[in-house]
Amino acid sequence: MFTVLLFVLFGGLALGCAVSMVVQRNPLYSAISLIGVFVSLAGLYILLAAPFIAAVQVIVYAGAIMVLVVFVIMLLNVEEEEQRPSNWRFMALGVVLGAILFGEAAFVLYSVGTPRGAQVETNVGLTASIGTGLFTEYLLPFEITSVLILMAIVGAMTLARRDAVVRFDSGAAEMAAGGGDLRQLDAGEVVPGQTAASGVAMARMQIEKGEAAAPASEGLGGAKIDDE
Amino acid sequence: MNETSMIPLSWYLALSAMLFTIGVVGVIIKRNVIAMFMCIELMLNAVNLTFVAFSRYFNDVTGQLFVFIVMTVAAAEAAVGLGIIITVFRNRESLDVDDARVLKF
Repeated sequence: MFTVLLFVLFGGLALGCAVSMVVQRNPLYSAISLIGVFVSLAGLYILLAAPFIAAVQVIVYAGAIMVLVVFVIMLLNVEEEEQRPSNWRFMALGVVLGAILFGEAAFVLYSVGTPRGAQVETNVGLTASIGTGLFTEYLLPFEITSVLILMAIVGAMTLARRDAVVRFDSGAAEMAAGGGDLRQLDAGEVVPGQTAASGVAMARMQIEKGEAAAPASEGLGGAKIDDE
Repeated sequence: MNETSMIPLSWYLALSAMLFTIGVVGVIIKRNVIAMFMCIELMLNAVNLTFVAFSRYFNDVTGQLFVFIVMTVAAAEAAVGLGIIITVFRNRESLDVDDARVLKF
């Protein structure tokens, strides 16, 4: 009885937070609601005897990913969603399609039925069993996952770096025309150990002046700039 | 711990289907890119709930390993996706998907 109560509590919280996330117009409120969904799901995972997944849910989802999202929302200074003339036909179409999708899912899940597998007490869900599975039977997917993460890191850095080059480059062009402001000058006079973006800007300016690359630009960004 | 068996599996599946549907409807009716991104995260979580529920009721750890991998993919998606969102915002000064209907101009 107690578990049923907990299920209704966490499930209702998750559903309410999910509806709130879709209804809210301010993205920041949506993000807070989504964090509520994640925490409720972590509670459900504990009910399902999966403490490791519950912990990872809170740490990775509610911790890392949502911090990224909230950080971007604040970085871009997103206000309320723009009020445009809303097309009610599309909204009605979306709701109808969602209802159809839910009907399909409910039908499939109903036809699957409850498995008759014995619900004996096992150590499934404990960290040790998950680790054993990851490093024996599913070693290859695990390693591919690490490659995927590496690709994501490189992709994110590429996205950020190209933008930095463009931005600093325009500043360097201004300086060449004699109109550079003080901030760009500071960015040019980089000391060793500064960020890669500054190193890129410095390499650019030195290339334009026809000088040899300084030791400060021998980092990742400085070495790559010669290709362009 | 055996009291978990009091909750039928179908309850978890129904909850998961509802969460997934809410996510789909959100992607369809939202215009803000970040809001759509969060709806996609909601759908991933709904599927994760299904995985964990089946893992529990079949006494098989494989479902939880899948959840682990789905979370990794979600983290990678967040890193790259938010980078793209920032780049698009700097170029268009807008997060509305209607303002980014062409990839290049």
